[in-house]
Formats: sequence, structure tokens, C-alpha cells
Amino acid sequence: MVNEELKKSPHNPKTFNGEKREELFSPRFKSVAAMAGWDEEALVIASLVVEETPDRQHKQKKLTGLQHFVTPPTNSRRKRRAQKTSPASIRIALIDLDDDDSAKTETEKKKLGQKFTGKGDKEEVEASEEHGSCVFSSGSAIVCTDLLREELSCAICLEICFEPSTTPCGHSFCRKCLQSSADKCGTRCPKCRQLISSGRSCTVNTVLWNTIQLLFPKEVEARKAAGALNSREVQHRNPARIVASHPNVSRSSTDRALASLRNPDSGSRNPQQRNSHSISRSRIDRVLALHSTDSGSRNPQQMNFHPISRSRIDRILALHCPDSGSQNAQQRNSQSTRRPNVRPSGTSSRNGDIRKSTRRESPPNQDEDAALALQLQREEHKETFRTRRTDEQYKNALALARANLRAMASTAINNIRVRGRGT
Amino acid sequence: MYSGAPSGGIAIGGGGGGVGRGGGRTWSSTTSVSTSGKRIQKEMTELSMEAPPDCAAGPKGDNLYHWVATLFGPPGTPYEGGIFFLDITFPSDYPFKPPKVVFKTRIYHCNVDPSGNVSLDILTENWSPALTISKVLLALRSMFTNPETYKPVVPGIAHLYLGDKAKHDEVAAQWTLRFAR
Repeated sequence: MVNEELKKSPHNPKTFNGEKREELFSPRFKSVAAMAGWDEEALVIASLVVEETPDRQHKQKKLTGLQHFVTPPTNSRRKRRAQKTSPASIRIALIDLDDDDSAKTETEKKKLGQKFTGKGDKEEVEASEEHGSCVFSSGSAIVCTDLLREELSCAICLEICFEPSTTPCGHSFCRKCLQSSADKCGTRCPKCRQLISSGRSCTVNTVLWNTIQLLFPKEVEARKAAGALNSREVQHRNPARIVASHPNVSRSSTDRALASLRNPDSGSRNPQQRNSHSISRSRIDRVLALHSTDSGSRNPQQMNFHPISRSRIDRILALHCPDSGSQNAQQRNSQSTRRPNVRPSGTSSRNGDIRKSTRRESPPNQDEDAALALQLQREEHKETFRTRRTDEQYKNALALARANLRAMASTAINNIRVRGRGT
Repeated sequence: MYSGAPSGGIAIGGGGGGVGRGGGRTWSSTTSVSTSGKRIQKEMTELSMEAPPDCAAGPKGDNLYHWVATLFGPPGTPYEGGIFFLDITFPSDYPFKPPKVVFKTRIYHCNVDPSGNVSLDILTENWSPALTISKVLLALRSMFTNPETYKPVVPGIAHLYLGDKAKHDEVAAQWTLRFAR
């Protein structure tokens, strides 16, 4: 093993490593580094870590380099020596760890290397680097996820935080866990016993929640599914959810359900729907009407395929309304003239009823899926620019407004589709 | 009056692990119980992975809410060499209410009353849902090394501990030899 390396370095001094070293470090620097206990490899690695190169080889090097840097090189003599050992020795140790197939290919490559000494060696080095990075990175990934799991788990339920809420003292728990803790154990932080002002009004730490969703999508999905099973009663109170959760429901029935939602007479059952959002109902009505009448055959399929998206669109559009408040008022004033174009019968009276009923503002539904938070934020950012433009056009012609609304709705649908099962 | 060693000693260390699920399943309609079941199961797996030093705990039988734990008397104390059995009973709203811990082995300690009830602040008014059984066991272990003499359940033992520690240790060692081996 060692012989091999010794042979290698003088025979082909223009290998990747050799070249790099010669370019990067002057002999004086190297000697100083050696006094500090930093061997050349570590220095090369350090330089590679700093560099941002799109090169594939560099990346692989970087990974291995990062691995080395997990333990500082000046830890102990044995470790330093281990780092100094050639990549070849590391490679062989790794082959033993690998499964049979890869080991076979490696041996084959070795044979090739013995035949064509120059090229074969290089190949081997590359292959070993690849393997090394693979093994190391997967190992470190496991360690990392374990640490992250521990770090991001709720101290109360011992699972990954679901909709984490952070206390003023800086500890995070599942929102529900924190709430029930505040209910049953008093308003003190479960971790440090500091007083929490009120456990009732805890909000979700969106950054943390999004991070958790990105890191542990499986766990979050499982937890959501369990939550959906548990909260049947919640769904009863919120018929839109029931409609959304059944993908096979036909369009007509979804329409009926939505119509009943909009109808203030039957609306008394679901107070959550009559919150501040419903100011935007008129807009949504129009969007939905456009979808049903103008673009006949294509859109119903879309809507059936993504029934969830409708309730989402409702919410997304509802968010944009406050941005264009003054414009809304104008809309409302001129609605009686515009309305007949879209919906010929009885819309104005119904609209008035809705407006009356929306005066009562119930608190926003806490059970709304917080998974939407990120999405809604992005949408908001996008749409703030767009709505400014559309507002001017809106006054000019109904056709333009239609087009814009349709675009908004379709982008929302597309975005939802692209991001996939967010609920 | 007092049974020396409990019969359920075999179940220590997650003996009834697989069967324990039944406890959570029967009441799964109410969320609080199922969350407590989940949490207890989590703690069980964590304890089996890495138990605190000189401690062991696990469900007694089929019931997930009834555990047995063992504590080994820490060296350097009069309880050295003794094996102490404890019964742990979890309430249905467990992480939010403390578990009930009872010594099944007699012990001469100012914080354990004659029927085995432990007076530990974290098991009563200072309970926090972030505490786990392994932390409780650690607290009990530290109770062996330094008893809480300011709020004792058995004032006589506390008096002796403060006044004549050698005598106290002698009696405690005698009890350990007699009941905990």
C-alpha cells in the first residue's frame, strides 16, 4: 500500500493532488503549516472548502474535506498520521466496508490499473474519491439527521415538533403541546419554568416550521394524517375541507357545497367561513364563474383533479384583498353594473347579504393548515406587484380583468401543483 | 404489611414491549390518552436504547401505564449494593401530570415514607411535561446521595442525618442489607 503510494508520487507528479499542492503553497508556507501540525492534505482541503467551484471533482474533494474537518487535525498524533496516509489506504479500507458488487468493480479497476499503470492509477484515485465521499457523506448524513431529530423534537411529545411555537424564553414545542401544557400545568415554560405570558395566544414559528417540513417531510406527513383522522369533528364544522378531502367528488357537488358556503342562510352552521376573508368572496365568485362558463372543458378537469386547490385559491385570493382596499370599495360600488355580465340572476342581493354577515368578524381558524404559510407568503410577494398593475386595468375593461383573474387563478393552481401536496 | 420484592421484577427492561401497545389502543378515541400512550412508548424505546446509569425501567406487563423500575444503590452511600424496586404509574394525561412513583423495596430514607411514597418536588408541584422517566430516575438516584432534609417525610430520619450522619448511615446500610438484597 505504502509502496504503491511512494511509487505513484514520483512517477506521475502531475496528478490532481500534486499539481494542486505545487500551485497553492510555497515551501515556506508548507513548513510553517507542518509546524502548526497541519499536513498538506488538510491545507489542500481547506483551500478547496473556501473555493466555490462548480467542478465535479472539486465537489467530491470538498465532501471528503469536510469530513476531515469534523475532527480538528491537531487532535492527536494518531489521527494526524491517519490523515497523512495516502488516499489509497483509505480506499482499501472502504472497499472492505462496501457491498460485494462495488468491491468487485474496484478490483477490476485495480487490475486495469496494474496493466496500464499511468491511467489506471488516476482512475483508481477518482473512483476511490467517489466511494470515499459517498460512504462518508451517507454516514455523516445519518449522524446529522439524528442530531437534528433530537434538536427539533418537542420535549413534551418527544416527536418532531409539529407546528412549533416558541416561548419568550426561546424554547420551542408543538403548538398543541404547549397549549395543553399551559392549560394543565400552568403558564410556565416546560423546559426552564419561566413564566409564559399566555399559552393561549401562541403562534407558529414559521421559519422553524418550514425548516422542519423541509427536513422531515415523512414525519410531518404522518403526523398530519394522524391529525386528520383525529379531528373528524373539526371537519364537520368545516364542510369545505370535507369536499376538498374527497378527490372523487364531482364538480357539481363541489359547486353545490361552495354555493351553500356562500349562502348566508345555511352559513350559520359554519362560523369559521364567515371571517374577514369573505370580503373577497365576490372576486372568488367571479373567478369560479369564469372557470365554469368561459373555459368549458379543460378547467373542470383541473378543478376535479385538484379539488383542494379551490379552497386554497380562496385563501390565497383572500390574502390579496387587503392590499387593494380602496380598489375593493370601488369594485363593490360598481358591482351592480358589472355583475350581470358574469352572473345574471340575483347576485346583488346575495352579495349584500354576504357583506352584512361579514361585519361580524370571527377569529381566524387556528386549524387552517399552516403548511400553506410559506406558499401564501410567496404568493403574496408575487401578487403585490401584479395586483398593482391589474387594478388600473380593472377599471378600464371587464375583459382585461377577466384575463387577469384567470391568470391569477391558473398560476395559483400551477404553483400548488408544482409544489405538490402541501396539505 | 410490606412485601419485600415485587413479583413483576421479570418485566424490567421493556419485557412487555410488544404487548404494551394495547394500552394506548383501547382508549384511542380521546386524544389525550393516545398522546400519553405515544409518549410512554417513545420513552420506553429511548430507555431501552440508552438507560441512565444503574437504572432500569419498563412496563410491568401488558399495561403500558404501569411500569416497574429498578435502582441500584450508588456506591459511596449507605445504599450501596442494594437493589430497589419501584412502581411507576402513569396518569392518563401523562406528560401533563406527573407519574406516581412508589418504592416497593423498604428503604431508610428521610424522603420516602413507610409505605414507599416518594416526596420529590419534581413529582408533585414542580413537575414539568418536559421531564421524562429517565430524568425522574436520575433525580431519585441523586436523592440517594443527598437527601432533601429540609422537607422530609420522615422527620426523625432527617434529624438523625443532620445530627449524627454516621449513625444514620449505619442504620440505612443495615436496612439495605436486610431488605434490598
